[in-house]
Amino acid sequence: MTTPLLEIESVTKTFGGVVAVSDCSMSIREGTVVGLIGPNGAGKSSVIDLVSGFEQPDQGNIRFAGTEIVGKRPDQISRMGLIRTFQTPREWRDLSVIDNVRVGRRDLERDSIWRGIMAPRRLRRLEEQESGELRDLMVHYRLDAVRNHRAVGLSGGQKRLLEFARIAAAKPRLTILDEPMGGVNPVLGERIGEAIRELKRNGSTVVVVEHNLPFIERTCDEVVVMDLGTVIAQGPFADLRDNKRVVDAYLGNDDE
Amino acid sequence: MLQYWTAILTEATIFAVLALGIDMIWGWAGDFDLSAYAYFALGVYMTIVLTIGKPHPPVSYVLGLHLFYPVAVVLAVVVVVAFASIIGAIALRSLREVYFSITTLGAVWAIYYWVENYTPLFNGYNGVYGLFDPLGGGMSYSAYHYYFFAACLVILAGVYVVVTRLSKSPFGRMVRAVRDDEAAASVYGRNVFWAKYRTYLFGAGLAGFSGALFAAYIGAFNPLDWRPTEIFVLYAAILVGGRGNPKGVILGSFIVYVGFVELTRYIPSPQARPELGPALRQILIGVLIILMLKFRPSGLIPERLGTDGTQVRRTWRTLFSRSARSVDEIDVDNSVASESEVDA
Repeated sequence: MTTPLLEIESVTKTFGGVVAVSDCSMSIREGTVVGLIGPNGAGKSSVIDLVSGFEQPDQGNIRFAGTEIVGKRPDQISRMGLIRTFQTPREWRDLSVIDNVRVGRRDLERDSIWRGIMAPRRLRRLEEQESGELRDLMVHYRLDAVRNHRAVGLSGGQKRLLEFARIAAAKPRLTILDEPMGGVNPVLGERIGEAIRELKRNGSTVVVVEHNLPFIERTCDEVVVMDLGTVIAQGPFADLRDNKRVVDAYLGNDDE
Repeated sequence: MLQYWTAILTEATIFAVLALGIDMIWGWAGDFDLSAYAYFALGVYMTIVLTIGKPHPPVSYVLGLHLFYPVAVVLAVVVVVAFASIIGAIALRSLREVYFSITTLGAVWAIYYWVENYTPLFNGYNGVYGLFDPLGGGMSYSAYHYYFFAACLVILAGVYVVVTRLSKSPFGRMVRAVRDDEAAASVYGRNVFWAKYRTYLFGAGLAGFSGALFAAYIGAFNPLDWRPTEIFVLYAAILVGGRGNPKGVILGSFIVYVGFVELTRYIPSPQARPELGPALRQILIGVLIILMLKFRPSGLIPERLGTDGTQVRRTWRTLFSRSARSVDEIDVDNSVASESEVDA
């Protein structure tokens, strides 16, 4: 049995007096697409913030690829191979579309001030060598016509696609998508589903938070259901359809 | 007349170096720093006290060394950067936007009053003086100023090359990404504090360097020569020229400095009210900032947009046209669908 890529173990997080995540445990196997679902306020986004280092848990452990990541900063966790998105697209507004993707590549050793001043030509040559690959990404995500435009001018749908182009350039080991379908029309929704499958094909494990259940059913290998800050079920979608706790949590039925 | 113009253009050149430093902090990293004038002033003071030798009572100041001018310049910049590393570490750790600005404003006034009132440091409000012809060329006063102006132009060109290379480099791009969205930048592996801090120290170092140049030009310096509020003149220059664009910042510096020094010279001040001219100068700068923000917020030469080089576009076009939308494919258009509703 191989160790899971992501392991969350009895994690608790409270904000003030509000318990957002309560004794929550789950594990994500490498190479799968996992849907994370649950009603509003179930703690899905809090779990993402904890995993990606934007919040620190009060208790519990989180291991990524076998390494404890509690206490690490978001940028450190990113360098280990985890990329997340936010509920709204977060493009770098005054950078061009292509520069957004270039920064997304995470060539961190090129960010040096010294190299920027002393070796501008070598850096430019490196980027020219990659331009074909970048161009393919632009075409693939239908951003080619706007690649030299300021990202702020893109439509909402294009910003979603730019997010995927950036992730593809980053080549993460684990991608966490927080509601990638928010405010997206059905046609583009199909394209996003395709983009998620492509991520999997390219070797990334994917966790996707989404309320659109048909979409989850089509896209995910497995589903984790959360309610009231904890995991109430985990398994293939078909198995959970008849799970009473899951149905109750979603529909808000309260038998008591 | 020639001497007069040389003087004004020399000051404008030094001012441009300072503005390039501040633009890195504000234009690239997005931190509206108000303490940069203190780094400039510290650069001037340090250079003077490192070159003019021992103080003679009642004058008093620290160090009082007799160093070779270029060595003093290097040391002055080192001291300024060390000093900025303290203020930057405090202000950038978790403070952003207006809270960052307030902290740096507090810092600059604290330094200002300290320098003015604590005489053992830089001789209080009387200031320090006595630096002239630091390279010992034995020139006459006017010849010295012509040569100095030429040297300043060469130095500005050098600074411009360095800053432009850095601006176009992956570093410059990364810092702007941090400016536009810190959380997204950290998701892509960037340490936000470190990115902003490095930019801050580099900008402060340039401010200190411009101060070291100014020291050799003016030779004497006291608190009347620098008011922390003068920083707004620099921000006006950056706004006019183009925030984030080194070429624009230099252009803006010359326009604001030459324009305003010149304009105020021709504003008649009645004998009874000699303060009218300088006051009008401040008002004009205020009006200039407002007009620029209203009609051309990205400046005369806006920030360069990083492209893949296949299209030569004017940046102002991308800014003001809506063509970014018109080429959009139909099926990728934004929609108002609220599919986040639960599919019961």
